[in-house]
Amino acid sequence: MTHPFRILVATVITITALAQSHAVEWGSIKGKFVLDGAAGEPAAINVNKDAEFCGKHDLKDETIVTGEGNALANVVVFIYAKRGQKLEVHPDYEAAAKTPAKLENKGCRFEPHLLALRTGQPLEVSNSDPGIGHNTNASFVANPGFNEMVTNAAPIVKTLEKPEPVPAPVACNVHPWMKAHVVVREDPYVGISNEKGEFEIKNIPVGQHEFIFWHEGKGNLRDVKLASGKTDRRGRAKLKIEAGKELDLGEIKVTPAALGK
Amino acid sequence: MNSSVRIFCGWLSLVGVILLGGCDMPDAPQFRLNMVQMVSDATPTPPAYQEQIANVLDGMFGTPDEPFALPETGLDLRKLQMAAGPAWTDDKGANFGLYRKHCVHCHGVTGDGRGPTALFLNPYPRDYRAGVYKFKSTYNPARPTDEDLHRVLINGIPGTAMPSFSLSPQAELESLAEYVKYLSIRGQMEIALANYAFNDLGEEETVDDKGEPVLDDEGEPVMRLIPLDPASDEEQRTVITELLAEIMDPWNTVNEQIIVPEEGAIPVDNRPAEDVAASVAKGRELFYGIRANCMKCHGPTGLGDGQQDDFDNWNKAHKQFLDSLASSSEEDELTGTRDSVAASLYPIRNAIPRNLRKGIYRGGHRRIDVFWRIYAGIAGTPMPGSGPASPGAQGTLTEEEIWSIVDYVLSLPYETPSRPLEALPTNLELVN
Ligand code: HEC
Ligand code: HEC
Repeated sequence: MTHPFRILVATVITITALAQSHAVEWGSIKGKFVLDGAAGEPAAINVNKDAEFCGKHDLKDETIVTGEGNALANVVVFIYAKRGQKLEVHPDYEAAAKTPAKLENKGCRFEPHLLALRTGQPLEVSNSDPGIGHNTNASFVANPGFNEMVTNAAPIVKTLEKPEPVPAPVACNVHPWMKAHVVVREDPYVGISNEKGEFEIKNIPVGQHEFIFWHEGKGNLRDVKLASGKTDRRGRAKLKIEAGKELDLGEIKVTPAALGK
Repeated sequence: MNSSVRIFCGWLSLVGVILLGGCDMPDAPQFRLNMVQMVSDATPTPPAYQEQIANVLDGMFGTPDEPFALPETGLDLRKLQMAAGPAWTDDKGANFGLYRKHCVHCHGVTGDGRGPTALFLNPYPRDYRAGVYKFKSTYNPARPTDEDLHRVLINGIPGTAMPSFSLSPQAELESLAEYVKYLSIRGQMEIALANYAFNDLGEEETVDDKGEPVLDDEGEPVMRLIPLDPASDEEQRTVITELLAEIMDPWNTVNEQIIVPEEGAIPVDNRPAEDVAASVAKGRELFYGIRANCMKCHGPTGLGDGQQDDFDNWNKAHKQFLDSLASSSEEDELTGTRDSVAASLYPIRNAIPRNLRKGIYRGGHRRIDVFWRIYAGIAGTPMPGSGPASPGAQGTLTEEEIWSIVDYVLSLPYETPSRPLEALPTNLELVN
């Protein structure tokens, strides 16, 4: 019988070579997501609290939101940055980094349903439903979560210090149908598809980046065909951003199965 | 038989080899992997990584019979050794194996809240692995203090299966509280490792001796998993040391997160009856108003029959997994495992707001206990906080208002149960 033994190894502090701040060149990426099949009508919400107010808003399940021509909204595209790796940020993003990102409780749903913000940027959660009390309960992987009342009087303001590996769920427990996600990244390179299914991310430093494709339905979108290649088993694709050019991924078809339908 | 070489890193400047005495018994209890995490949509973890994660955890934390703690955790190994292992008593009457003797049948060997008795309990025993605790003196997202854990062991959790251990000697309680912390830190590390392996390691293209990519029959590159092997990978060692530091920081700084009520706002004990009545009336108004919004969950008469559709974080995680599984049509290497994980879960239970007319307070019945619950909310559950969310932040309610609600809540069990006061009307003109 062998005795288990332990080897203690000195940890060497690795000094990360700091990126030289030479002139960086920039490029962009865009695309349009389309649902390739039918997801069915979104289910109506069973409004069992504050029905006299919330019941007026014709609330629907927002897990899968499609627009005209089966355009798929709320797909998140962002750049994977290795732990500790920082992407160069274009100066155009500077002002936005200090403006609060706003999440509103409005009509007994969250507006927007998906919100991107950067670490250090204030997150402002407000309540515009007169006479209705909401709480906001956010669960994170890397940051401490919170669960607080939000009144009509003043928004609650949070700052998240660390990037989140996946979009983080936000809920209201008084009205448990209310759901949103916040995408917390160190850099501003996050695209969220709109009602037309379109997304665009501008001023990305040139070079090969690993992009993550995510949807609320089942998380990372695996094996999705792109103009060239496809996303891998982790829902990522390595794409090359070229100086002064916009990489157009064209129409990207997503099956209902990939969204859990 | 465990004969693995365990390698891990510490802030030690020497490379040494330590032989641990004793061997694992053939059927010694093993820590179980957090399988819901391993098969979740967030970190689908291939079997190879599951095994590697188990190995790394084994190196960092040892086994249920032979716990180990890196100096960075600040855990007291002697206390852990007293709580770990099989239950026995030495010739001087000192007890060992306390966790297995007192706790394991409910909280499970791994601290996953899934001991053999757990299935029959409601609420389920705490799963320590997220580091989230309900009844504590700190801000909502903060860890519990040692004193908080100690208080729970002394008082038990009235109204639940969690018994009181007030008859155990102080040294045993300290050892048990340390062991609970150890299981939390280990569980948090496991989640961090699953995230690290999935997000930052994953697959890479294989190359042959000439550095050329190896292709399969269809011309696609052959992929291989980058092994999680901190023993031979210095960068991984550095990352894991950082991850541990990130987990430890909130535990180590918890004393900065204690909610200490303002001196001036604490109502004195021997107040005149009319002052108490006025405070109760004010608390009642707040309870039914929209700023505190207590009524929406606790119901129009405080019976806990308001919003009952929601879940606590632990049940929610299981529910999300089951929902996702139900809507899955694609197969992958984890499909079989997902089915067996689903079959192993206990029924999902709703988070029911407390019936405030019973006068049973799970987190303690002192005024300060109820104050902490309302101020910070109850972590891991739907119950939100109404005070400032962190030191120096702005709260929804003032401390004075919270103390009034405390007075009202504590008065509720004494209202004639069959004739609870009518709820105050909600402010309907605001609603239209
Ligand atoms: C008979 C079953 C049972 C036994 C035995 C038991 N517990 Fe518990 N324990 C529970 C239940 C149930 C809860 C959850 C109560 C709740 O969520 O309100 C709990 C919760 C806890 C908590 C969490 C408190 C918090 O603030 O969230 C701790 C810590 C704890 N137990 C420690 C222990 C320790 C240490 C032992 C052994 C000395 C032990 N328990 C034995 C059933 C048990
Ligand atoms: C979003 C729903 C929700 C709201 C709003 C809410 N509660 Fe709760 N409350 C709960 C739930 C759920 C529990 C049970 C948590 C547990 O122990 O798992 C609870 C538990 C409690 C407890 C029991 C504490 C103990 O030690 O047993 C008290 C007291 C309480 N709430 C008071 C209040 C007061 C006062 C307010 C308003 C300021 C309020 N709650 C608002 C959901 C809510």
